[in-house]
Amino acid sequence: MKVLLVDDEIKFAIMLSKRLALRGIEVDYEHTGEAAIDKVKQNKYDVAILDVKMPGIGGIELKQKLKGLAPSMKFIFLTGHGSEVDFETGSTEGSFYLAKPLRIETLIEILHGLTD
Amino acid sequence: MIDRFRKALSLIRPQFYRPDNQHLSPYFRFTDYKKIWGFGMLALGVAALLPLIAVTIIHYQLIQKSIDSEIILRTERVTSNARRAVTYFLDQHLNALRFTVNEFSYDQLKNSDHLKEILRNLKLGFGGLTDLSVIDNSGIQIAYAGPFKLEGKNYSNQVWFAECQKCEFYVSEVFRGYRNLPHMIVTVKSTRPDGKFFILRATLETERLINTLSSYKTGEYADIFLVNRSGVIQTPSINNGEAFKTITLPIPDYSPRTQTLMAADRQMNPIIMGYAFISTQIADTPFILMVVKQKEGMTKVWRQLHTNINTIVLFGIIAILIVITITFTFMVNKLYLADKENAETMASAEQTNQLASIGQLAAGVAHEINNPLALIGETAGYVKDLFFMEEQHRNDEELVEHIDTILESVERCGMITRQLLGFARKFDIKIQKVSLRQIISDVLIFHQKETEYRNISVHVDVPEDIPEIETDRGKLQQIMINLVNNAFQAMDNGCCLDILASHEVPENEVPENVKISISDNGCGIPEDNLEKVFQPFFTTKEGGKGTGLGLTITYGLVKKLHGHISVKSKEHEGTTFILSLPVRIKEEMSDNESSFGR
Repeated sequence: MKVLLVDDEIKFAIMLSKRLALRGIEVDYEHTGEAAIDKVKQNKYDVAILDVKMPGIGGIELKQKLKGLAPSMKFIFLTGHGSEVDFETGSTEGSFYLAKPLRIETLIEILHGLTD
Repeated sequence: MIDRFRKALSLIRPQFYRPDNQHLSPYFRFTDYKKIWGFGMLALGVAALLPLIAVTIIHYQLIQKSIDSEIILRTERVTSNARRAVTYFLDQHLNALRFTVNEFSYDQLKNSDHLKEILRNLKLGFGGLTDLSVIDNSGIQIAYAGPFKLEGKNYSNQVWFAECQKCEFYVSEVFRGYRNLPHMIVTVKSTRPDGKFFILRATLETERLINTLSSYKTGEYADIFLVNRSGVIQTPSINNGEAFKTITLPIPDYSPRTQTLMAADRQMNPIIMGYAFISTQIADTPFILMVVKQKEGMTKVWRQLHTNINTIVLFGIIAILIVITITFTFMVNKLYLADKENAETMASAEQTNQLASIGQLAAGVAHEINNPLALIGETAGYVKDLFFMEEQHRNDEELVEHIDTILESVERCGMITRQLLGFARKFDIKIQKVSLRQIISDVLIFHQKETEYRNISVHVDVPEDIPEIETDRGKLQQIMINLVNNAFQAMDNGCCLDILASHEVPENEVPENVKISISDNGCGIPEDNLEKVFQPFFTTKEGGKGTGLGLTITYGLVKKLHGHISVKSKEHEGTTFILSLPVRIKEEMSDNESSFGR
């Protein structure tokens, strides 16, 4: 499984990618939407984990762009603004929302669920 | 009795007269409805009644004027007719005497038998004569025909004898004379063959004159009589007495024509007085004919009508005032209620705005905290991951426990920020099925630490079979958190908080409800303050510690959820808030409300 993590919180992105890597998941991370688009153009990813609120291209907009480049890609959104309402909305659109701070076990479960 | 009256009064008293919403006063369009009502009533009353009263007064004046002129006209007519009758009576007898002296010689006249014959003929021809006599130039009555024995009487000292010498024809006043009875005479002066003068005198029947006058008397309030020019009564008067008395009325100025005027008698009662100076064709007389009418008596019918009209007008005024009062009170009350509703909406919107602002602030803070919290969580998790990879650290229980403490704290913080965000969103009205147990549990999480620290025992009893209710989760959370906060603030360390829920099955018109009671055994609320607890800005907390809005907001939220909240309390024993909410609620969402929290 190859995952692209996009979050403007650099340290958070590093830490999360390291933890996922420790669990055997191949992770690339980027801090901006633009860089993420370039990355997707060059590589193939199974899942993108996107922060909803980022400077420049936000998570929702980025999803649309990445979906154009890689239609089979699945998405997980991370948000500091999370609530069950967002979860419901996100889930119906075929994506998942996770509220920060997140539990790594939940994320792993969702990742496996998406790629199985 | 007084209480009953007050109770009845309170039922009809318009609502704006007992405003119970001081907190809404800044939002009212008009500030003083009592004043509006008062001025409005006054203006309407004046506008409606002034023309009515003015027209009534003008109408009265016109009628009064018309009645006055009618009375004057009638009095003048009576006076004029009576004058003609009196003048004719005197003229007739003067002319009869003139005919007699012209027709008969002095010798024939001084013959008593002949004189009696003449008297008999005159009585037959004209009537109204008592006696007839001839008086020579020395004042001695030389011949007499009549019922009295007056022959040879000397009249040289009598006033009338002096007067009758001055002119050819003479009419005397009423006087007593030798017979000592009121009578009047007419005389004609003539010349004897020797050149000296003699007087032919006739005594007139005053009764006949009185009867003539009486025949012109119209109505019980009229008085008709003769006076001489000094005001001495000549014929009896109803109101002024018998002959020879002096009238109390003013003696009118001379006028050749009949006159009528308004005056007042000695009792100051208004009268209409008609008068005429009597003068025959051949001689002047000392008489003034007086016709006096009591105005009050004459206008009795009109005054009765006046009273009836006044009664009708009075009832009309009362009816108009009642209609104005009812209509205007109804309208002002409606205006007040509309304004009150508007004020309530505005106050509620402002309150919602305030809550929304607080919610948005909380949401902003929560969001900003979530990011560093996530970093702490991931970093601590990574450290734990690393420890688990190394045998040396994996078994270091103390180290793992510390890391777990960090992770637990992060999770707890995350839960709190999520709940804050959750509350912030709840300005939307979103009806969903809510579990009371879940809500109560969520709210108590906020107080978990305080509960432990202050050794407060919390007892929650929510029956298993209580149904999920259709309501707005956020608002219910807010209500519960406010009430629990309130209880915590009222309690000392070591006190108890009971949260009980029960299910009320629908009965008659009462819908299906759930009841939640939140009881503490804290300081309680004094009885005087009990009814003020839901009023805005009412707080018993020491300066600056409370806003006095918590329970007001709670009350507003409960109303929004179509619920009901009440409070029972006893000072030093504790307080119970009882919240009743419908199991099913109609969704109501206004634009105002739906714009918040998105």
